[in-house]
Amino acid sequence: MDERRIGSLRFTIDFSQPLYEQILSQMRSLIAKGEIDVGEKIPSVREMAHELKINPNTVMHAYQELERDGLTEKRRGQGTFVTNSVTQIRHFKERLALDYTREFLLNMRNLGFRPDEIEAYLEKLTHGKGGL
Amino acid sequence: MTESIIVSEHLVKHYDKKRAIDDLSLTIKKGHVTAILGSNGAGKSTFFRMITGIVRPDSGTLSVLGENAGWHTNAKIAYLPDRARWYNNYTAEQSFDLAARLLLGFDKSEAIRFAELMRLPLDLKVDGMSKGQEARLMLILCIARNVPLVVLDEPFSGIDAASRERIMEALIDAISEKEQTLLISTHEIHEAEGLFDDVIFFQNGHVLLSGEAEELRRKYGSIDTLSRKLSD
Repeated sequence: MDERRIGSLRFTIDFSQPLYEQILSQMRSLIAKGEIDVGEKIPSVREMAHELKINPNTVMHAYQELERDGLTEKRRGQGTFVTNSVTQIRHFKERLALDYTREFLLNMRNLGFRPDEIEAYLEKLTHGKGGL
Repeated sequence: MTESIIVSEHLVKHYDKKRAIDDLSLTIKKGHVTAILGSNGAGKSTFFRMITGIVRPDSGTLSVLGENAGWHTNAKIAYLPDRARWYNNYTAEQSFDLAARLLLGFDKSEAIRFAELMRLPLDLKVDGMSKGQEARLMLILCIARNVPLVVLDEPFSGIDAASRERIMEALIDAISEKEQTLLISTHEIHEAEGLFDDVIFFQNGHVLLSGEAEELRRKYGSIDTLSRKLSD
């Protein structure tokens, strides 16, 4: 795993996994957590490619997906910026939260757990010993 | 469907009794960065020399840029040979002037920009260059050309870490600014693998394994690790 910094942003590149997904999910989480502010400029494709030592096309594809997510917008001649709309970012987080929860519930149900048992597991992992 | 820029079918090349290239069939996609990997003697350099028309196959076909590989396709290929050398008494800038006269599509202003990026002094003579500096010069002579195909045989070998970093940056800029196809062989896989779109592993003159870099990562882990496993 290689850790790289771009300005105040920290990225981890693991060459044993597809790179596109790593760029996309790390950028998504930086924006969702507010580490890159609303309306703030994100690093250019060139900057990212240079610092992370990856193909600029890989960065560009991830950036296109961020734009489809509604998280960023391109401004002609100025670069790419995080959307100014807080609502947009909230919607994206909600959408993702629903996806993750749905996947979790499906996995648990496929193992035959009932809702109260699933809840107990959640409780155990959030508040119990050795929890997250 | 991505267009192919190189198509090789059942290529064979002998040197005396040794089969350097043995029934080699592959395609290289236009606009992609393709890594040709494999241990020494796997046939990578011979294949590159065939692409540039320097070496002719004994049998099989090799189409490059839509024609049979030969002297007429050679002009449209920027080729960095293994152990490349340049004229000793030329400075970097004089080399660019010479290249502008000799090499199709060579852009001097672009070369100067790459020299600045790679911190190569323009007034330095090849004589006085370190190995790394000369390697940077040789690379600029390739990537400052507006030609459809760039072939780099071991651009990082025997070069200091700082030069390798500069070369990576220049390659990244070359990829983003032009729609060139880049073919690259290297043993410095960990450092370079982020660039690869496609990877082809050579062994004993033929293809052992090939695929998209991201797909290979999904299946086997990093290209670097995969390469080590394959050479065991």
